[in-house]
Amino acid sequence: MSRPTHPDPDVDACAVSTHGLTRRYRGVTALDRVDLRVPEGAVYVLVGANGAGKSTTLRLLMNLERPDAGTAEVFGLDTVRDGPGVRAQIGYVPEHHDAGYRWMRCGRLLRHAAAYYPAWDPAYADHLGRAFGLKPDRRVGTLSKGEARRLQLVMALAHRPPLLLLDEPTDGLDPVVRRQTLALLAEHLADTPTTVLVSTHQVYEVESLADHVGVLREGRLVAQLSRDELRRTVRRYRVEVPEGWEAPPGLRGTGARRSGTGREVQWTLVGEEREVTERLALAGARVREVTPLGLEDAALAFLPEEGPR
Amino acid sequence: MMQPTLHSTPRPRDVLREQLRVTGSALRLPFLVPAVLLVLAALLVAGLTDARSPADFHPESQMLPGMLGLVLPIAVWRGERHFGAGFLWTLPVDRRRHALAKVFAGWAWLISLVAIFVLWLLAYTLVTGGKVQPVEALWILPPRPFPAHGLVDPATLRTVHWTPEPLFWLVPFTAATGTYLLASAAVLGLRHPLWWIVGIGIAIVALDGVGALAHAPWLRMAPGRVLEPLFYGPYGFDALLTARIQSIRTEATLATGESVVVWRTMPDLRLWVVATLLWTGGGLAALWAAASRHGERRPA
Repeated sequence: MSRPTHPDPDVDACAVSTHGLTRRYRGVTALDRVDLRVPEGAVYVLVGANGAGKSTTLRLLMNLERPDAGTAEVFGLDTVRDGPGVRAQIGYVPEHHDAGYRWMRCGRLLRHAAAYYPAWDPAYADHLGRAFGLKPDRRVGTLSKGEARRLQLVMALAHRPPLLLLDEPTDGLDPVVRRQTLALLAEHLADTPTTVLVSTHQVYEVESLADHVGVLREGRLVAQLSRDELRRTVRRYRVEVPEGWEAPPGLRGTGARRSGTGREVQWTLVGEEREVTERLALAGARVREVTPLGLEDAALAFLPEEGPR
Repeated sequence: MMQPTLHSTPRPRDVLREQLRVTGSALRLPFLVPAVLLVLAALLVAGLTDARSPADFHPESQMLPGMLGLVLPIAVWRGERHFGAGFLWTLPVDRRRHALAKVFAGWAWLISLVAIFVLWLLAYTLVTGGKVQPVEALWILPPRPFPAHGLVDPATLRTVHWTPEPLFWLVPFTAATGTYLLASAAVLGLRHPLWWIVGIGIAIVALDGVGALAHAPWLRMAPGRVLEPLFYGPYGFDALLTARIQSIRTEATLATGESVVVWRTMPDLRLWVVATLLWTGGGLAALWAAASRHGERRPA
């Protein structure tokens, strides 16, 4: 079965491309030869368990960390050789909620950020600040986790960057603000030509926006495909099997559940439907039903069943 | 897909201007304390007008600017996570240049404060009727070991009339600059600068302890042999801080029982210039190395 990773689309049309990107921490490999391709204008969702390497990938793109091997490019600019040029294209929301200088007031911090981005749109920053209910007189150090996250989002969006790197952007937000944030993000994407690389555990939140998915598992990019490819190649199969049936080797799947009699199996499998059906039939199983999956369930098919996701 | 318009990086002068502003804001609180102290001191002077005695203008002998330069980097880098994914590094500026711009902004504020301090000293001199360029009679000790506990024969003292050159008025500025550069290098380049200071202190005490236990006086004296020239040698730290005035001026008891201020040697402008160049050059080199730890092409 072919691996659903396509590392060689036209690199020139990529907002982000990495080549063998590797990062180790004291001998432990956090990111292992990752070849990421984020097409321009895409909303690319990076999925993976805790510690899979999602945040590390984003930090490497910002040149906040240096790779042990490999290279990364943003709009054709090398992240190490042209770090400032790369960061000028990026609106970054980090994993942590440390929004800047704790002693500073929110309004001052926004003016500080504005000085660094010639494309800063003050009217838009005001609009976002009001929409998020930010109080310019509040000190950054007194903000709650959710308020700090909203401030980070304003700083990331207000210069209308060509690329947004969002690391768990809705983390710490209450359900109302979370919905509002996603609506503002959708509005931003409609108004501004932007590529988004978002790392999240809550894939369902960005399901309506996402058009590409990458799955990281233990530092390796195990899948990278478009939304359409994902919907086409990852499906749930209801299969009737003979007694004592063993699955054919090489089938990639997850979430296998047998019915009470053991004669029926429900299984999420990866691969072209015709190919999977043929292989199951050759192994003596009979496919009764094939159903497409939502983005989150489809992405989870690439992650191990055991352990946190 | 339409090619997106790439954004430009900020102009260096805009970065510098913003760093001056933001560092000024960060320093507002640390600046308040010396400002309040200066005002209180000024009020005290005004209140004691009748009892005051003329105070001559001697900015070169003040240690405060040098001390201020040592502690100011802590305030300049307040709230900055300069190791790791700190906010400063997420901004679109070359990391090393950005760090140096911040250090420069802090230095500009430091020099402003030192200038206010020197002007205040000048005002104090004028208010108390002191002389801006006094002619002073210095008692110079003979060129032999100064008796540690003995009495000094007044006949051995040489009297020299000395007027400090106006170049010595620069001492507070160069002292503050030198110490600020060294402290900035430590704050920027070391993950735990306080641990280093405490560690060195503990090492000295440990050497002393081991030397005492092993009956090895040479071991006990080793730190002193290194530190004394470093602090009080011709080009030592005191030469940077006060043009050696603090270390060459001392109090002695004459054979007559009178206690007087005497000088081991004359203040030397040349020694001060060389010491300043050495310490400031060392500070600049250390600062460059420290900032390079954060450069775009730093090691992984």
